[in-house]
Amino acid sequence: MNAPPRKLSLEEWDGRYDQLRRDGLREPAYGGPLRRHVVRENDFRLQQLRFDNSPAALRLWNFLLTENERLHQARAAGHKIVGTMKDLGTVPVMAYALPGVRAFYPDGAWWTPCLMECSDKLLQQAERSGIDASFCPVRAMLPAFENGRHFPRPDLLVCSAGAICDDFSTIAQRLEHLGYPIFWWEIPRRRHPDFGEIACPLPGNLAAPKTQVDCVRAELQRVGQALAELAGENLDDDCLAAGIRAANQVRQRLDSLRRLVYSAPAAPLPALEMLVAEMLAIHFCSDRDETIAVLDDLLAEVQSRARRGQFVLGPQAARIFWVNPVADLRAMNLLEELGGRLCGSDFMFTHALDLIPENLPPLEALARAALADPMIGPASDRAARIVRECQAGRAEAVVVSRIPGASHCAREGEIILEMVRRQAGIPAIELEIPPVSDAMRPSLASRLQALVETAQARRSH
Amino acid sequence: MDVFLTSPWIPPEWIRAHGLQPRGLWAAEHFPGGAWPISAGVCAFAEAAVRFAEARTGAAVIFSTACDQLRRGFDAAILHGKQRAFLFNLPATWQTPAAGQIFRSELERLGQFLLALGGRAPSPEGLRHDMAQASRTRNRLLEAASVSSPRGFAEAVARFHWDGSFAPPLLAAPSSQIPLALVGGPFLAPHWKWLDELEAAGARIVLNATEMGERSLSPAFAFEAGARPPFDALVHGYCDHIMDVFQRPNTRLYSWLKPRLASRRVRGIVLWHFTGCDLWRGEAQTLREIFALPVLLLEAGAEPGAAPRELNRLQAFVETLR
Repeated sequence: MNAPPRKLSLEEWDGRYDQLRRDGLREPAYGGPLRRHVVRENDFRLQQLRFDNSPAALRLWNFLLTENERLHQARAAGHKIVGTMKDLGTVPVMAYALPGVRAFYPDGAWWTPCLMECSDKLLQQAERSGIDASFCPVRAMLPAFENGRHFPRPDLLVCSAGAICDDFSTIAQRLEHLGYPIFWWEIPRRRHPDFGEIACPLPGNLAAPKTQVDCVRAELQRVGQALAELAGENLDDDCLAAGIRAANQVRQRLDSLRRLVYSAPAAPLPALEMLVAEMLAIHFCSDRDETIAVLDDLLAEVQSRARRGQFVLGPQAARIFWVNPVADLRAMNLLEELGGRLCGSDFMFTHALDLIPENLPPLEALARAALADPMIGPASDRAARIVRECQAGRAEAVVVSRIPGASHCAREGEIILEMVRRQAGIPAIELEIPPVSDAMRPSLASRLQALVETAQARRSH
Repeated sequence: MDVFLTSPWIPPEWIRAHGLQPRGLWAAEHFPGGAWPISAGVCAFAEAAVRFAEARTGAAVIFSTACDQLRRGFDAAILHGKQRAFLFNLPATWQTPAAGQIFRSELERLGQFLLALGGRAPSPEGLRHDMAQASRTRNRLLEAASVSSPRGFAEAVARFHWDGSFAPPLLAAPSSQIPLALVGGPFLAPHWKWLDELEAAGARIVLNATEMGERSLSPAFAFEAGARPPFDALVHGYCDHIMDVFQRPNTRLYSWLKPRLASRRVRGIVLWHFTGCDLWRGEAQTLREIFALPVLLLEAGAEPGAAPRELNRLQAFVETLR
């Protein structure tokens, strides 16, 4: 089964899959050839992507692409389904602490137009619901709720409010108007403690005043009560502490994976698989135990490749730090085709990668984790972490990937670019990537190419 | 010292009680001060607030977290070296005690900021006096709202937000024009010419529910009932009466609109929003569905004033209601 690492097209994966099966590949229940996602789910974009050729990557993709199916199965098995929105990483830790509860982010529907190459018409349907193209592609969530053809209707919808993106907040409000009651909880805009205020350290080298931590803790307590009521179970401290420990197992594995991949002399795993793997942190792709198994496989593959000195890209690739998730997954392939590789990332949920403190009362720990969200604090805090990680990861350039219509991108990108250029002293660009970027490929490619060439040219100075 | 506020939900009474002069930034002369080169997606109002803050080095500017654009505009102003700036965390939720606690603690923090600017510690009597005076002026403006000329009312409210005074708005002349509501975000002095354009087209704004209109007069204090400290009354008087699109859920805004639209026999809604304002833009369909009224989106671009294309749309909208 051990083939040298390389990237495969979907066609090439067909053959690779047959070979793996002949060689005795054992797969989980959701396993199978990648091709079936195109045939059954109309995930046409897969035909344009290049995938890592390892069985571990196959498992990762199958895990990702069967999420809706697995959620429907969980519902049929009597599990309660929680749709948690916007906080990206905190409420699911609480939900999975309860038996028989699955939490997922309906926000994830923002990738559906990309995967289905807009054949689902979700974006057009969102427009008919009053949310047009001036909003972020997460608007695909709205018709996905209405048509029920993607994820099951959640038994409980939870959404953070306050310091969140306007476009998401607006879409969620529209959703509620359409008849989907939402449990709103307040997440205040994180600020630095004032002189004389009690400061609480947060994950990610941040701090917030105790008053804010207390506020979020009280709000999460409300959320916890709603979850417990739904589950018909008691969500006590022991239960939450166990949930935090399990979430940290996921985060530890991701930390090891990121360290290995981003610090290696050449890339042992492609950028696209890293993006998908990191996404598992936010709600465990609706199955926490399986997430751990998927990450264990990936980690073992990467460790093995590193030992053997085998990589998917050569050592000359420019080391790029990537900011924000891409609406079109194809963009991560494009970066590598043009001579770049990932050496770090901030896909908007770094707080879901940081370990949750285990030495604090659980709700206090979760409140601090929620407040470490890079999207709710000053843009300069986020930029400072990016600069630190660029320096630690020897980044040669930064790409800020702009999400079309996202309210935070309008201003935040400028601030990040300014601080990166000034403090890290490396080139940085902003790119806007729509859900299907084929029409913009020439301009995206020329901008990325220029960045890669600039980064490589600076090596000789 | 002038302390400029970017939201009507930050109490000017609290600034005044500290011996400083509160000013509605939107009511400032020459605001927004022209068209700025702005990045795609940036709200022109937020950009103008940032530039205003950077230019007025001697004044303080209080930003709010009511929207992403202003919240991040504050970040930009700080990054560019603005010293006297404060970000007031307006809670989005309102159905739990947490919202009141956030509002209270933000007011306390703002008080510390004002003291650091050279303000004086507020006395309960002084605060109560300022609140009572503002309350009277708000009530007088509210009483005048339905009988005033649209432009006169906009001017009178702006005057109140500028210096707290009451200037009686001009009464509306009797007419048979089509009654419309103007609902939305910041509606600034350079935009008032839209009111004239509407009148010329045969319609009249009978409900100005923009951020600088009647909604902004909602705060109401209940300290007559007894020994409630004025600070408590201030917290609740604002926090319990915010009628805005950013709240979650934003049902209070709709509850506020409903009786007014009905009693003034409104036949159509002009939804006023700045380019890049998702919060208001996203309400168009809900407004249509809830009130069963035609809704016209009217966009304030970077250039203040009535653009020919928008004017044409407005005229057509009025024409369809005849």
